[in-house]
Amino acid sequence: MTLVMPARTDGKARTRFSVRAFLPAAILVFMVAVALAAPWIAPFDPLDQDLLALNQPPGPEHWLGTDHIGRDVFSRLVMGARTTLLVGLGGAFAAFVFGAGFGLVALSLGRVSEAILFGAIDLVRAMPGVLLALLLIVALGEGVGPVTIALGISFAPFFAYVARAIYHREAAKDYVTAAQLFGGDPLHVLRVHLAPNLIGGLVTQAAILLPRCIVTESVLSFLGLGSSPDAPTWGRMVAEASRYIELAPHAILAPVLAIVLLTLSLSFFGDNVRRTLDPLREEAGS
Amino acid sequence: MKFLANAGFDLGRMLIQALGIVVIVFLLARVVPGDVVDLKAIEGDLSASQQQEMRTELGLDQPLIVQFGQWSWRALHGDFGDSIRFGRPVGGMVRTALPVTLVFAGLSFVLALVLAIGIAVGAVMTGSRVLRSLVEIVNIWSIALPTFCIGVVGILIFSVWLHWLPVVGSMLLPILIIGIDGAGQIVKPLYEELREAATSTHVRTAHAKGLSPWRITVRHLLPTAVPVALALSGLVLAGLIAGTLTMEVLFGLPGLGSLMLNAIQGRDYPVIQAAILVTAIGLVVVNALTDLLHRMIDPRLSR
Repeated sequence: MTLVMPARTDGKARTRFSVRAFLPAAILVFMVAVALAAPWIAPFDPLDQDLLALNQPPGPEHWLGTDHIGRDVFSRLVMGARTTLLVGLGGAFAAFVFGAGFGLVALSLGRVSEAILFGAIDLVRAMPGVLLALLLIVALGEGVGPVTIALGISFAPFFAYVARAIYHREAAKDYVTAAQLFGGDPLHVLRVHLAPNLIGGLVTQAAILLPRCIVTESVLSFLGLGSSPDAPTWGRMVAEASRYIELAPHAILAPVLAIVLLTLSLSFFGDNVRRTLDPLREEAGS
Repeated sequence: MKFLANAGFDLGRMLIQALGIVVIVFLLARVVPGDVVDLKAIEGDLSASQQQEMRTELGLDQPLIVQFGQWSWRALHGDFGDSIRFGRPVGGMVRTALPVTLVFAGLSFVLALVLAIGIAVGAVMTGSRVLRSLVEIVNIWSIALPTFCIGVVGILIFSVWLHWLPVVGSMLLPILIIGIDGAGQIVKPLYEELREAATSTHVRTAHAKGLSPWRITVRHLLPTAVPVALALSGLVLAGLIAGTLTMEVLFGLPGLGSLMLNAIQGRDYPVIQAAILVTAIGLVVVNALTDLLHRMIDPRLSR
């Protein structure tokens, strides 16, 4: 089979503008910016209760209205972006470190450590993610730190499995054998020779798991386990407002739309990352 | 013979997984600071000797491994002790809640498989654009839209605005939501697998023989779809757990999920342990059963 590559005349051909690629990234950047600048954007303290203005519809003073104890929904939404993103992204990062980090080290140290680690992971995997996260939160206590760690441990197996798959694929190649024959110690070979070739697959996996991580975070905080009550998260806002759904639908719709916008953008963003980093798989799939 | 050996292997793995879960859940109550006696001591003031007496009575002064043996032996017989908050036997509470969850989860599971198979087979057979984009939409839907968000919006639309359904207690909406969500977890891989099968030679022969598309679907595509769907059903089951928890809480269904969350909020450890244990073991058993069914349907696996 001959491949005819189109001649690339200038560098611009590569960075063609497409809404599909641009919009999700733009929304994500916007949300991170809002989260960072939250204290300066929020017009009210997200915990301040205005008991004379309960369940107010959106208006000039409270842009998105107030909730059942008179807290400003817009301020809670903006401040909630902080906790939601912090825990969701932090959880995915922790999963990456736990799963890929321990996974790769165990893999490069040999068969025995691989068998032990993955045996343990298989055992843990018998418990589905949310149940495991629940269990860990019960054991570790609630709050931002424990929930992040719980998410990290629950999602770590996905990274470990991908790490194992691509490790075995890469490790069979000649350059690795050569490095091993030269007497490089396993961790050195991993760090210098293997890691650069594994990182693409792992980043792809991270991009795929990120929306799931955010969804799980919001499910946990919806269930009242996400973080402490004085740190508003979008999931918790939905849970609290769901009891007053008839009186204040806006207090529910605002965080629901925020969550959906975030997870949708992350999904499309992840899909784009996968297409960019892993073009071969895309071809095989279609 | 080979089939039996494989089934035995499955059974062994299932038992090891179940044992692992029992150990983890047992340890849960140990890592949490303070035991039952401490909690009771806070409520009614027990003297130090009374506390000691109670610990001896409950076997809490025994070595950990002995405690583990006693605890799992009793758990095996459905005895999880008494609820700290309500003082009632936990076993009874679980037995009341379990049927609700079983009906809810079972119906959602079946709906998910039927929907996924229906959409995937339909998309492959007709090749219609609408059905093919439906595969994509349902897939993105289940990845990106948390079920509780859809649940709240559903309540808002169908209960509050349209008054079609009661806000609390109706199972229709949650089953639909979880069914679609579960279908989305597997519809895409199922569709891709089927599309490959549809281009295989035996399907082409069937076309060439002049069989009707309907007959080809029933005779040649469905037999491919069902084992694949079964193999993927583990994903649906995992999603079902989160879904059951959120839907039970949101729609006020008195099932295992509601029980578990109330217990977590009230720090009622015996109930938490029982609810998590029953859910996790149930899941392991269902997973093993689908594996077994998969093996029976697809003889290639036992070769």
